[in-house]
Parts: sequence; structure tokens; C-alpha cells
Amino acid sequence: MDWLNEIRRRLWMLIRHRQFNMDLEDEMRLHLELKAQELVRAGLTPEDARYAALRRFGNTTLLKEKSHMAWGWEWLEHLVQDMNYGVRAMLRSPGITIVALLSLALGIGANTAIFNLIDALMLRALPVKEPGRLLLFGDASDCCISDYFPNQVLYSYPFYREMQQKNQVFSQVAAVFSMMNRVHGSLEGRSETEPMNVQLVSGTYFPMLGVQAVAGRVLTDDDDRMRDGNPVAVVSYSWWTRGLARDSSVLNKKLKIGAAVFSIVGVAPKEFFGTKVGESPDIWIPLSMQKEVLPSVDGYNDNFSESLYLMGRLKPGMNTALAAANVNLLFQQILRGFPGAPLSQENMEKLAKTRVELTPMATGLSELRRQFSEPLKILMIVVGFVLMIACANIANLLLARSAARGRELAVRQALGAGRRRLIRQLLTESLVLAFAGGVLGVALAAGASRLLLRMVSGGPEALPLDVSMNIRLLLFTLGVTVVTGVLFGTIPALCATSLQLAGSLKEGRGTVTAGARNPLAKALVVSQIAFSLVLLVGAGLFLHSLMNLMNVDTGFNREHVLRLQTDASSVGYKEDNVHLTRLYAEIEEAVSALPSVRAASYSLFTYNEGSWNNPVSVKGYVSADSHRDVHHNVVGTDYFATMGIPLLEGRGFGPQDTADSPRVAVIDETMAHTMFPKGSPIGRHYSRGGDRDIEVIGVVKDVKVNSLQEDPQPIDYYPYAQHSRYLNDFEVRYSGNLDAVADAVRQRIHEVSPYLPISNVTTLDEQVERSIGNQRLVAQLSTFFGLLAVFLSCIGIYGVMSYVVTRRTNEIGIRMALGAPRSTMLWMVLREILILATSGLLIGVPAALAGDRLVSNMLFGLKPIDPVTLVSATIVLLMVAAIAGYLPARRASRVDPMFALRCE
Amino acid sequence: MHRDEIPPGTLYLLILKTLARAGEMHGYEIADSIQRTSDHVLQVEEGSLYPALQRMLIKGWVKAKWGTTAGSRRARYYQLTASGRKQLETELSQFERVIGAITRVIQTA
Repeated sequence: MDWLNEIRRRLWMLIRHRQFNMDLEDEMRLHLELKAQELVRAGLTPEDARYAALRRFGNTTLLKEKSHMAWGWEWLEHLVQDMNYGVRAMLRSPGITIVALLSLALGIGANTAIFNLIDALMLRALPVKEPGRLLLFGDASDCCISDYFPNQVLYSYPFYREMQQKNQVFSQVAAVFSMMNRVHGSLEGRSETEPMNVQLVSGTYFPMLGVQAVAGRVLTDDDDRMRDGNPVAVVSYSWWTRGLARDSSVLNKKLKIGAAVFSIVGVAPKEFFGTKVGESPDIWIPLSMQKEVLPSVDGYNDNFSESLYLMGRLKPGMNTALAAANVNLLFQQILRGFPGAPLSQENMEKLAKTRVELTPMATGLSELRRQFSEPLKILMIVVGFVLMIACANIANLLLARSAARGRELAVRQALGAGRRRLIRQLLTESLVLAFAGGVLGVALAAGASRLLLRMVSGGPEALPLDVSMNIRLLLFTLGVTVVTGVLFGTIPALCATSLQLAGSLKEGRGTVTAGARNPLAKALVVSQIAFSLVLLVGAGLFLHSLMNLMNVDTGFNREHVLRLQTDASSVGYKEDNVHLTRLYAEIEEAVSALPSVRAASYSLFTYNEGSWNNPVSVKGYVSADSHRDVHHNVVGTDYFATMGIPLLEGRGFGPQDTADSPRVAVIDETMAHTMFPKGSPIGRHYSRGGDRDIEVIGVVKDVKVNSLQEDPQPIDYYPYAQHSRYLNDFEVRYSGNLDAVADAVRQRIHEVSPYLPISNVTTLDEQVERSIGNQRLVAQLSTFFGLLAVFLSCIGIYGVMSYVVTRRTNEIGIRMALGAPRSTMLWMVLREILILATSGLLIGVPAALAGDRLVSNMLFGLKPIDPVTLVSATIVLLMVAAIAGYLPARRASRVDPMFALRCE
Repeated sequence: MHRDEIPPGTLYLLILKTLARAGEMHGYEIADSIQRTSDHVLQVEEGSLYPALQRMLIKGWVKAKWGTTAGSRRARYYQLTASGRKQLETELSQFERVIGAITRVIQTA
């Protein structure tokens, strides 16, 4: 521990340095006096003795300095000195400083904000025990409920149990329902219901993750052993805070959901949001209670109702490869072993080929990640470019300034300052600037992160992602700041200190020096223009693509449709029941009677809400796939009128289609073309699962199901009179004021059914907009940053050219005195700018073309090489460069020759 | 009288040895003692003693405390520490090795 003691002593000296200096002086004085006394005794006069002692002693100042340096704090003192100097230098030229700080703050702030979101969405590990040991079965690319065989993404509850008991590689296996469910529940004793996000999980979920309750207990396997047996729930910390004001009696409370009453047994930790990033359940309920929470779902004992994601924690010493071998062996065995497994020849072949991939899930699951990782990566590159442009700008400003300081630096070097020392000082100055920018940037990022989250969320509520500042983020910003400081500081510092000493000292001001013809400043401007072009072209492409998306024909008329959701299950209605059908019909009728409403209808889906799809088969239809997946929708009589979907052939639904009449369906064009290629489909029949015989009664226009980019999909529609099931979507085609209509509709619904919960009131248009949220995000932000880049480059061009003109005032004066006209001077400067801009563009165009290929799969309806975008970006940049350069050029043309010459 | 500069790198050794013999000394006494013991052959540039002492303080070879001289002046007295003793041994053996080597080279000539 010798070095530790040494550091302690050094620190002590740093703290008490005044005392130590005084002690040293005392000591030296004593020495000199004793020496003088001795010499006096030897016969010298006191005067001579004192001088002799001093001579023998040596240079006291130098010795004091040497002793001082022995403490090893020299660097710190120099740093403080340089920083002081740096701050003073910044304050001396406030214009440059403000421009530099603003561009740095914007650059660093934008980088931090985007990185923050990337971190929150993609990089941060789950707040659970050893997240690195968790593995997910499959890749969670599918969701909800499936009966596909064999399914390696979604699993049934019986499969989970078998896997949990038979595997030899996981210390525990847990299952989680593949979607979070929004239900309406109420605290026992309160009459009003509130929307709640329920996550169904296996009893092993919390123990496997190693998450403990902050109050009460977590769910255990015992809660999950008997179907309908344990009505218990764990609530989230934030719901506890929100719903119960952190009431300590939470463990005595009960929650009523539908007809079931759940006891709250525990509160989850504050940081725990489950295993899916971007979702935060309010309560966790064991899968054994799924029927109570979701009356339409009853998969506890169904071997082939696949609705669960499975995850496991590796045993110590076990690795992914070994685990995968064991899991795949069991996968085959378990599925083959289920009674009633559909083991046709074809299915056996499919099963033999299916492999379960085990994916690491240290960072949790996320659909958002799939959706936003690419846009965020592109934005990260974009803001990186912006920061580079800002750096180039500041480097230029510093270059100009240090050229102006040439004499000062030359004088210092002449007085003996080492080049390294000067470079260190200049670098410290740039770092001071960078850090000031970094601090501003962090402040900016705090706000920008929240704004960005809003933009990503798309809806009225922000996504539950934690984007507050944290250590990781501050470290990132610190790194970025230091790198930028070094980037923009190094080159000017090297240039400034490599002056020809004698030359600089001899020269006065105002003459042409190295700085004026500095090719470096120009190279920086050229690179700025090149970068700006890349960004502008990118922004142009994204904007163009967004416009293409907005012009896509959705098939329905998205204007003037109100959409809301009701939850009949929470007020006691049952599926397959005439009361449910009657409720929907009564509400449709009551709302349609409103004067401002033209049509209203219930449906299973509208747009971008997922889908229910499985294969149908048509007699006599033979193709590569004898079955074909079709999207199904269950709708009310007036659905097509409400959505504005044109009927092309046959009829829509009517009162004649009842529970007792033959099963009918309306199909879309794509289904008509592909499955009924010959003749009219009207009157033809097909079958789907349980419905053995469905008659086609009409054909409607194709509509988009889940995204604007998708190809036309086969869709069929069933009347809800023949499919009594929960329908949550209610659409209203209205005229007039939206808010007034929404209020009136709500009122009418509550007149029919007073306690029916209504939620998610929005418009169809809004739903469509939301589905292109990430394209909009990328287009908006890349445009913003593209313009910012152009603006920064503008400042760069202006700065460099002003500087050049100032330095050449003299030359211009001479030329004009010799008879050069003003217009020549104007042109001389402008020409230089245009040369710079053109060289930038020449570099930028190929770079932009290369970059466009990277983003081509994010573009819609565009070829990656879009000449319109490229040409307009080039023109914009040329114009901007000319404008930025015009002011200095005009100044050059207004130089008064006499004044310029007298300046010498 | 002819005086020799002390060989470079041996200042620490001289200070350490002097302190080891005397126990406790202030700076002037150390310089004085080195000169006396060497019969005024070794000439310490007296001032350079102090940066060396500062370095030794930091290394922890010596410790210092303030006391009063015979002439009742305030002075800083230096004393060897345990790690100083160890350092003295190291430097001594190193010195002897070097001197031995030099001697051998000279005598073979």
C-alpha cells in the first residue's frame, strides 16, 4: 500500500500547499543564516558572508520551484491556469463563443437525446437478477393466439408445463401471455371502473426473474396450479402510487375484474416493468386465472391454444448451445406426445424441420424495438453528421481566432514557452468550450428526450420508457464532448503553434499571412457542404417517401370517422349470447339516430389493430397452397357504409342475415381474384375451421389491414349476428364537430348501457397517421437536422469568407487602387465560394448515393436514386452558399482603397 | 582545497546514510555533516538538498517534525522511516555493485 500512502501525502501537500511553501522558505532562510554565521566565524564580514552563503546555496527561486514540482501537482496548476485563460478567451470574443456554444449544444444535445432513446429501447438490461442468463424460446416475432402447428414462437400452457418439468438445462422456465391486456376493473368498494393493463404470467415468472416484492409477496408456482383456483394479483409500484397513493393497507384490498374478485398479494419493485420494453403492466395475474380476466380466452388445459412466450434461466455452467439441444429434443417429443396432435404426413414433415431458436433476452422483449431500431440508428447517424459539421464550424472559428492570435503565440514561443505547452493550452481552451457546450447539450437533451419520446409514442399517452438522465448517458455525453473538443481543437492548435516565428513577429497586422490562404479552413468548409448534402438528400428522400405513404389509397375513407372502444365483457356480457348481439345492435341504432351521424357500426378491427387470420379452403380451388391465410373481420350491418368501403358486386349484410340463416360472408377483391379466379364469386361457397360452409354474398374494395406499405390482402367479413363474440371497436361516420359528436355518442351509449366502459376515443384518420409514426418521425427529424446542418454550414461559409476578406483588405485595396472595378472584387470572392461549394457537392453526391442505398428499405414508392431529391438538394445548397458568401463579397467590393492602404 | 561535486544519483544515498548515523537532523546539519564526514571533499550544492528532501518526504523515506535548534531557532528535523532504512540498504548495495564494477574495470587496465 506504499503508493496509496504516497497519494495520501501528495494530496495532503496539495491541500496544505501554502503551509508547505512557507515551511520550505523558513527552512531555506535558516540554512542561509546558519551558513552566514559560520562564515563570519571564519572571518568574513557579515555582508560578504551573506553573499557567499547565497552563492553556495544556489538559485533559491529555482530550488523552490523544483521542490514544488516534487509534489507532482504541476499539471493541475497548469490546467487551472489554462482553464482560466480559456474562459477569458471565450469571453473576449462573445460572438464566436455564442455561435460555437449553440452549435455544440445542439449537436451534443441531439446526440444525447437520440442515444438516450436507443439506450432505453435497445441497450438497457432488464432490472432483474443476472439478465444475461435469461433465454427466450423463439424470437417473439408473432403474438396473440394461434393454432398453427408446429409453432416455435408461441406455446400452449400444457406445453409450458411439460417443458418446465422435463428440461435439464434451465433452473426455471416461465411463461408470459404474449400480449398485455387492457381490461376494466375496480377496487372493491368503488363503483367506477378504471382501465388497467393486465399481464398474465405463470407462477414461475417472478421467481425465475429473481424479482422480490417490495410489499407482500410475488406470485409463486402454487398460485398457478389449479384452473380458476387462485384469484390473486401483484400490482405494479406505479399503480400502487397512482391508484392507492401508496396506501400501506394495499395487501388487504381486492380488485374486481369482470365477475372475479382478486386479492392483491404484493407490490412489485419500482424499477420492474415486466419483460417487455415499452409496456408497463399495472397488475400481474397467474395464467390459471386467464378465463376470469379474458373471458374469450381459455387455454389453460388446451394443448394447441398457443398464446405464450416461454423464457428460461440457464442453470449454472450451462450454455446456450447445450440448452438449445435439450429444448429441441423436448419440443419434438412434447408436441408428438399430445393426444390429438394433428400428425398428418405434411405436419410431421413440418415438425421435423422446425427448430426452436433460443434468443438472449437480457434487454427484454420489444415490438417497439423492431419498429424503431432502424429509424433510431439512422437518426443517430444523422445527428452524428450534424455534430461533425458543428465541429468543423468551431474548428474554423478557432482557426480564424488562433491565426489572429498568431502574434501572441509567436511572442510566447519567443519568450521560451514550449510548443507542447502551447498546444496543451490551446487544447484546454477547446475542451473548456466543449465542456460548456456539453453542459448546455445535456440540459437540452433532457427536454429533447421527452419530446422525442412523445413523437415515438404517437398516441396521447407517452410510452412508459425511462428517458431521464442517468450515469450511462452522462458518460456517453462526456465521451462525445471530449472527442468533439479534441476534434475541433487539435488542428487549429497544431497550425497555430507551427508558425514561422521570425516572420510572424516581423509582420504587422492586416497583411496576408498563412491564415488567409489556409487550405485547411477551406477543406473544412468543403466537408461541411458535403455532409450537408448527404443530410439534405436523406431528408428529401424521407419526406418524399412520407408523402407517398400519405397518398396511399387505404381503400376506406379515413375522413370523418370517429372510433372508440367499449368493453362489454367487464359489465357481465357473455359471448355466444343473444344479449351481446342485441347490445351492439341497440347501440348502433341509438347512435345512428343522432342527426350528425350518417352511419355507425361495431367491428372486430378497423385498421392497424392486429388481425385474426387463418386458412380457408374453397372447393375446387387448387394452388401451391391448398389453403390460404385470410384476414377475418366481424362487422355490423352498416360497416361498409361507415368506413366508406365501396361495394363492387352483390350485396352487403342485412336484416335477413341472422343467427339461424345460412352463414354468409363479404369478401374483398384480392380474395375474389385469387380464390375465385373464374366467374363471379357471388353464390360460391368456402369453409373455414368450424364454419364448414360459408356463402359469398358480396365483394368489396381492398383495404389496408395493418400498414400502408402492405400488398393487397385477402379479407373476408362476417356479420356479427352470425358470430356472437366480443367486438371492441365502434365506428361512427359523422358530419360537423368531432368533440360534439363524441360527447353525443358517448351519451347515447350510456343511455343504452349505463356502465359500459368507453375508452380510446380517436378518429380513423388518427389511426392511419399513427401507423406511419416512425416514417413521420424520421422525415421530421431528418428534415430538422438537415436544415440545421445547412444553417451551420452557412455560418461556416460566412465565417471563413469574412475572415478571408478581412485578411485580404489590403490586397483588395491595392487592386482597386490599380483600377479593378467593384464588380470584379464581388465576383472574385463569390467565385471562391462557388468553387468551395462545388467541390463540396462533388464529394457529397457520390456519398449521398452510397448512403441512400443503406436506407432504401425504409423508403416507400421511391427508387433509392431519386433524381428530383438530388437535384433540389444540390440547388438549395448552392443558393445557400451564395447567400452566405454574398455579405462578405459585398464587403470586399465596398472596400475603400485609401482606407485599406492606410491600414498597413 | 580541491572540492568535488558529488556523483549524480548519490545524493539520496548520502542523505539517507547521514540520517541513519545521526538519527535526527535539520537541513543545514545534513549538508554540514556530509561535508565534514567527507573531509570537505564532497561538495553538496547546498540548495539542491531541499528538493531532494521534499521528494524523499513524498516517497515516505523520511519524516519531518519541527523543533528548535541549540540557538533556539525553529527548524525542521528529518528522521529516517522504516521504508527509508530499506531504501538505504537498496541504494547501498546498488552503489557497491556499481563501484565494484567500476573498480574492476579500472584495475584491469
